[in-house]
Amino acid sequence: MFVFLFCSKMTAEYDKSFRFKKENKFLVKSGCKKRMWRSLKQILTAERALPWHNEAVLYYSINAPPTFKPTKKYSDISGLPAPYMDRHSKLFYSNVEEFTTVRSLPMDITAGYLQLRGANTIVG
Amino acid sequence: MESVLVLKDYKTVPDIVHEYEPSLKFGHIPLVIDNGSYQCRVGWSIYDEPQLIFKNLIARPRKDRSKKDAEPPVTPPIQIGNDIVNIEAVRFQLKTQFDKNVVTHFEAQEQVCDYIFSHLAIDSESCVPHPIVMTEAFVNPNYCRQLMSELLFEAYAVPAVSYGVDSLFSMYKNEIGDTALIVNCGYHTIHIIPVIKGQVVEEHARRINLGGSEMICYLHKLLQLKYPVHVNAITMSRAEEILHEHCSLALDYQEEIRKWASPEYYEANVKRIQLPFVQTTSSSTLTAEQQKERKKEMARRLLEINARKREERLAEDEEQLNQLLAIQELIEDGDTDEFNEAIKGFDIKSYEDLQRQIANVNMRIEKNKQRIASAATAEDMPEPRPTGRIQPPTDPEALETWLTETRAKYCELLSRREARRARRAAMVRRRTAAAAERMRVISRLAAAGDEFGNQDSDWDAYKSISRDADSDSEADGERLMELEEALREHEPQTSSNQHHQLHLAIEPIRAPELMFQPSMMGNLEAGLAETMEYVFKHFNPEEQLLLANNVFVTGGCSQFPGLKERLERELLEMRPFQTTHRVVMAKNASLDAWYGARDFAGSNEFENWCITKEEYYEMGGEYLKEHHASNRYYKSPAPITDNTLAPAGDANVVKEEIVIDC
Repeated sequence: MFVFLFCSKMTAEYDKSFRFKKENKFLVKSGCKKRMWRSLKQILTAERALPWHNEAVLYYSINAPPTFKPTKKYSDISGLPAPYMDRHSKLFYSNVEEFTTVRSLPMDITAGYLQLRGANTIVG
Repeated sequence: MESVLVLKDYKTVPDIVHEYEPSLKFGHIPLVIDNGSYQCRVGWSIYDEPQLIFKNLIARPRKDRSKKDAEPPVTPPIQIGNDIVNIEAVRFQLKTQFDKNVVTHFEAQEQVCDYIFSHLAIDSESCVPHPIVMTEAFVNPNYCRQLMSELLFEAYAVPAVSYGVDSLFSMYKNEIGDTALIVNCGYHTIHIIPVIKGQVVEEHARRINLGGSEMICYLHKLLQLKYPVHVNAITMSRAEEILHEHCSLALDYQEEIRKWASPEYYEANVKRIQLPFVQTTSSSTLTAEQQKERKKEMARRLLEINARKREERLAEDEEQLNQLLAIQELIEDGDTDEFNEAIKGFDIKSYEDLQRQIANVNMRIEKNKQRIASAATAEDMPEPRPTGRIQPPTDPEALETWLTETRAKYCELLSRREARRARRAAMVRRRTAAAAERMRVISRLAAAGDEFGNQDSDWDAYKSISRDADSDSEADGERLMELEEALREHEPQTSSNQHHQLHLAIEPIRAPELMFQPSMMGNLEAGLAETMEYVFKHFNPEEQLLLANNVFVTGGCSQFPGLKERLERELLEMRPFQTTHRVVMAKNASLDAWYGARDFAGSNEFENWCITKEEYYEMGGEYLKEHHASNRYYKSPAPITDNTLAPAGDANVVKEEIVIDC
């Protein structure tokens, strides 16, 4: 807490062109101790830990439900409906021409397509 | 050839500092801030339009670390919103106060507030004497509201604040009645909020964690993967422009993409987007000739230099020979004294030495003469063509046929090589036709009798079973290179602007489709239609009907052409047979929230909906005054404290911030 006070004192003379400003609340001068801001995830976790009433609606409680429909498969390179999957690269493809293209793609491109589809994790 | 779309690469214009008129200064006029995660819109409640519209982004150029500690580090100017003229230049230094759709980084928010108030030229001493209407995220966490109130009341000493939800403001602005199903498509989230008789049914509202920014990223990555050559030319801002101007929602995605499978449909409907490019100085055809000329010239000059050198050397040697011969004459004349004097100057020890030197010089002269003669004949001869290069016929018609032939040959070689590679790859693995064939050949070889080798072709069997590249492929490879080079040199050049075109086929409908199928980017949440169906299920049939008859679509991301039709189609699918439904689009999807908030600030009851400074100090930072367009206030409960471990502090205070070194 002491450090924090010290900081605000140092930044008091910060840019007096903002006459409307009473004090710098969260701004700190460069080189001074920086406050770490909680990410949304941390804020939500902290919020969840509180003993809320049953009727309270919180940020995390209005998340959309998981999908119950079977996910459709689309060719990674063209977006056409894709009935096939290349066993080597795990890319979806829709026809013979695409298959030859898929086979000729370098590793970084196939990895990029998989990442885009969120299928680059080993699990699942 | 259809028209090619050109990217506009919009540049922002830095905001001016607006005038702070006396009527504003002394009129206690409310200030309306629609603080969205994409854009921030700010304006006085008495005006028709917002004064400031800028992207909620901050670019802090990096500190110059090379400087010594002795001099204090100079803080480079911070750029905010429209100050950032070229966003791509500072892409990696961009910050925003938002995490998803919630403000979490309040140092950045303070900078943005400074920017807002200074650009409105507020000049009162140590306070901003205006009530503020600020939008916040739907079900904003109390913690975030507390920090926002702290900022506004303590740093700017505002007299009062009122918080509202952007989509609710937008709904009231559009005057569609008090029962509606709001579909708010934002930059990071899509909200589906049921409102019944003016009451927001929060517990049944849902949020899909996906929005415009995800679509931009998806399109950006998709295009970069499709055109790895232009990876640097395809920027985020260009992807954003493409999404804004050329993308739309398909009415029936499955059917639409099936159409694209036919090449005719593709040709007729593909969108060509021109990337900027630098016209290369035509170095291809013209300079090839020039280069040849230059090379010839160089060779000629080199020959000349060599000839001159040889002649000089010849003259030198002849001069030396003459001198040596003169000395020899001296000794033949019997003039020993003079001879001794002369050989001292020439570093010669004896008569034999002299004889040897003369022989040497003679030989050198002879050699030089021979060389000069040979060089002269070589110059006369026409220089031989460099071998190994394929020369096309000069006649244009013949050239055309030659080109097609060469191309065909090239393709044939290429396919042969591919086939060979495929066979070799298959041979390595077990249980393939190629591997079986190989085993068959090997067993036949083992069983072959003495007559093996009578014919040369017998030996080809070894080629067919070899797993390594064989001599055939080497020869083919060389030939392939030759043809490739010839083609590259002589094929008519396609104009370079075509090399810098992006062809958009399914992509313009694929990116917005993420709204309905988040699974396309690995998001396991339900899509917009499925979530709407889910929300409907929580209401009784009468309420469902009311909601379905007033589906209100707002938010910047709802401006895709075709969204209304798509939603109507989806509603037709999910609602019971022969029930009615209606989709209403916001009049101005991105600005209606600000207009709504402005009307709210101008209403007579506005003062009753404001949190005053006194209330802030009494009720705490997270306190919220509820009104028709606000979130519901749930007071944060005291955290469960374990008294056995730590002495109980003030339970209502949210935990102390962590302060660490930067």
